[in-house]
Amino acid sequence: MKKLFGLLLFILPFVSVAAVHGVELEKAPINLKDKASLQRGAILFSNYCMACHSIKYMRYNRIARDLGWTDDEIVKKMAYGQAKPVDDVMTRMLPGVDMEVLGTHVPDLSLMARLKGPDYIYTFLKGFEYDKKTKTWDNKVLHGTVMPNVLEGVQRYSTKEQFNQDVADITNFLEYVGEPIKVKRESLGWKVMLFLFIFFIITYLLKKEYWRDIKH
Amino acid sequence: MSNATHERPKNSILAWIDRRYPLVSTWNAHVGEYYAPKNFNFWYFFGSLALLVLVNQFITGIWLTMSYKPSAAEAFNSIEYIMRDVDWGWLIRYMHSTGASAFFIVIYLHMMRGLLYGSYKEPRELVWILGMFIFLVLMAEAFMGYLLPWGQMSYWGAQVIISLFGAIPVIGHDLATWVRGDFIISDATLNRFFALHVIALPLVLIVLVFMHIVALHQVGSNNPDGVEIKKYKNDKGLPIDGIAFHPYYTIKDSMGAIVFLFFFAFVVFYMPEGGGFFLEPPNFEPANPLKTPDHIAPVWYFTPFYAILRAIPDKLMGVIAMGGSIAVLFAMPWLDRCKVKSIRYRGASYKALLTMFVISFLVLGWLGTQPASPELTKLARIFTATYFLFFIILPFTSVSEKTKPVPERVS
Repeated sequence: MKKLFGLLLFILPFVSVAAVHGVELEKAPINLKDKASLQRGAILFSNYCMACHSIKYMRYNRIARDLGWTDDEIVKKMAYGQAKPVDDVMTRMLPGVDMEVLGTHVPDLSLMARLKGPDYIYTFLKGFEYDKKTKTWDNKVLHGTVMPNVLEGVQRYSTKEQFNQDVADITNFLEYVGEPIKVKRESLGWKVMLFLFIFFIITYLLKKEYWRDIKH
Repeated sequence: MSNATHERPKNSILAWIDRRYPLVSTWNAHVGEYYAPKNFNFWYFFGSLALLVLVNQFITGIWLTMSYKPSAAEAFNSIEYIMRDVDWGWLIRYMHSTGASAFFIVIYLHMMRGLLYGSYKEPRELVWILGMFIFLVLMAEAFMGYLLPWGQMSYWGAQVIISLFGAIPVIGHDLATWVRGDFIISDATLNRFFALHVIALPLVLIVLVFMHIVALHQVGSNNPDGVEIKKYKNDKGLPIDGIAFHPYYTIKDSMGAIVFLFFFAFVVFYMPEGGGFFLEPPNFEPANPLKTPDHIAPVWYFTPFYAILRAIPDKLMGVIAMGGSIAVLFAMPWLDRCKVKSIRYRGASYKALLTMFVISFLVLGWLGTQPASPELTKLARIFTATYFLFFIILPFTSVSEKTKPVPERVS
């Protein structure tokens, strides 16, 4: 009973509460270890998103290093040969476009995956619907968003599987951008825990040895 | 400690120091010859673990300060700089943010131990009261630290809590402005919270922790049986049921520390957001004074008290109830009038009351994380009532409690 209290106190903070949205979010089929997907996502992002959206906490050369490109390659692939220093932070390409064209501030996407979760991004990007009556686009995840369906061309001229894969790649890339260290963090964790486990066994045996002469 | 048991140090350097500083006697009084009961159980790990987390917070905090910028314009950016560009910055930051939650988990379990085994009772009233002050300062420390990342939840959480000062009659409004240093949470607030978080409160904390331990060593540790080991001494004047803190408890606590670090590492490396409880998702968006989040929830360790605040319809009464829910704990040594310390030998009434109290605390903690709704508010009122009922009923039932016979020595 007493131990139960302790257990409850310990477990309570880990009970996760599901985020509340109007629609059920689709699980994003992403994998941060899939570098090919991240590379495709990075290129798609610079093609379709980066005109308006910055990822200002990210640097070109960090992406190059993490995704397996050289500095020259990333300038070609993501900055289109612009003579930018490779360690530049990734600002959007058309500054001022948001207020002029859309009349709103376009959010920076560095932390969107941590703010809303990858499933939100995945469902949102797939969630654009055309209303034939009003002849306008809307999004089922975020009604009334001023963001146009930038992937309309992709959606129209490629297969459903290809479109889903493209959206998944962009989502994967944004998940990576949210926390670039995540893969390394998770690969380091079990080693630390293994070390602690071995250290525990040694300490346990030492404790047993010391406590042998204590009578209960 | 008696001087009869140890000789003058033979080592000449040690002797040189000892003539000028009471090194050996201090070590002996608090570690080498501090006799603790031999029957400490699981619950007795949390004191040393709290000290471990404190050291973790100090060290990671110092390193965070090296790269953090306490200004409204730069704070959020500097956190992301630490997370991305500073070598191992992500690890230091996660250890600090996880450490904050770990601190409260450990402290709540440490306090629970006190309630289970009557560790607040005569002669340990001051140990308990000093501990309560530590808890209070820790809450202030955590609250101010939470503003520093300058995320949406940092900002609006601080906004909600500081506005509570406004409920105080006459001076309230001015007091809130004085605390903020501005009419809203702003750069000025961030700067002073930074100063308090990294200098003022840690200093107070370390003095209080020192006093907490000095007070404990003056009266000696309680134990799961709640009997005083000083009653039975051997011919050397040492407690028969006591063992030297070093090496017995230093090695046992090291073992506990490693088990703790195992779980701690799991959170740091595999779930640093703690399911949205240790790092709340809205805090990944920079503070925006013009945009209130849909649902403002304090970090989990404040939610039981926040639920009490929200349960009361009147703002001033809510603030009083919230303050009272913490303040009443200070009076535990006098509210509980039963002579028997340990729950092992106490009557059914205390066991029932304590169970009710713990359930109330946990349910209030959950309610505090939820958006307010009429049903949940009703629930919060019931559990606020049962929370306080524990302290109201206890003085009456504890006088005439049907206790079991307490053994003379530890079992």
